[in-house]
Amino acid sequence: MGPYRNQIQIVGDILVAAEELTIDQDGAPITKLIQKANISHSRISKILTNLVSQGLLEQVDSKQARRYKISMSGKDFLREFKRYSEFTDNFGLSI
Amino acid sequence: MELLLENILNLVGFIIGMIIGIFSYLGYTNTGSPVLFRLTIAFFAIGIGFGIIWGGYMIDDLILQEGKIHRGLQALGLGIQTIGYFFIAFSHTIKSFFPKSRYFRSVVILPLFTLSAMNVEHIIRSFSFILLVYGAIETFVSFLEGKQKGALAVGTGLALLAFGEFIAWYSLVFPESILYLISILLKISGLISLFLPISRLPLRKIKFDDLEDEEDDEFGK
Repeated sequence: MGPYRNQIQIVGDILVAAEELTIDQDGAPITKLIQKANISHSRISKILTNLVSQGLLEQVDSKQARRYKISMSGKDFLREFKRYSEFTDNFGLSI
Repeated sequence: MELLLENILNLVGFIIGMIIGIFSYLGYTNTGSPVLFRLTIAFFAIGIGFGIIWGGYMIDDLILQEGKIHRGLQALGLGIQTIGYFFIAFSHTIKSFFPKSRYFRSVVILPLFTLSAMNVEHIIRSFSFILLVYGAIETFVSFLEGKQKGALAVGTGLALLAFGEFIAWYSLVFPESILYLISILLKISGLISLFLPISRLPLRKIKFDDLEDEEDDEFGK
């Protein structure tokens, strides 16, 4: 079993998943995000609402289900997240 | 020679501490990570601690000209540095370091007020040594788990600082020997080693389309 993730690591994992799954304009369905980010449905729903309200993710209206794609701000945040993850890794710490 | 090296050490410590502190602070404002917040406090404290001692030497060099730093000022600078080392160690979840009882904690601090600045300085140095050794061991363990070269450099830096602190204490037993010079050189090498992996990362701040404050509020808690 891996170490527990904190809130920022979970957000980072969701954004990474959204970025990898956002191939076209349709965005990624919530089930794929759950699988990719390894998080429960009840937990991801709250986080996704937060990320959309902060502009890091965009909610795409679809007839089938709710879909999410990473925004430009989300990409900027993710870039910084990866950079500072590397920084804290140098100290043997997780961001 | 000793005074010159001491000045270089404290200036290098001040600059490196502040640069890593600023970098950590930018990381904290961009991501809201509590780990980066602790590293911000740690490196600002280390930088300010070195800066105070450097300032003390400069004041003596330019104004007082006594050939030695004021002991109280030295103890203050070392104390602030130790706070920095504590926060590095604390980031590795050093939670059982202090006794839980509030009464016991207050009693433990009491002897510090009955000692001279010279003795306080030695106590602070020994605390620094313990915290640096702890931080170095934890960082080396992380390196063994993740094989990240940066962790090896930081671990080596903390270990050199700890060894330098130990040699500085040992030089009290053999004053007028080369030991103190060696300790200063070890500490300078330690600071440079600490800075190496961080120097590869670009120092800049990004803008999130006016969303920064909201992110800080949400994730920084």
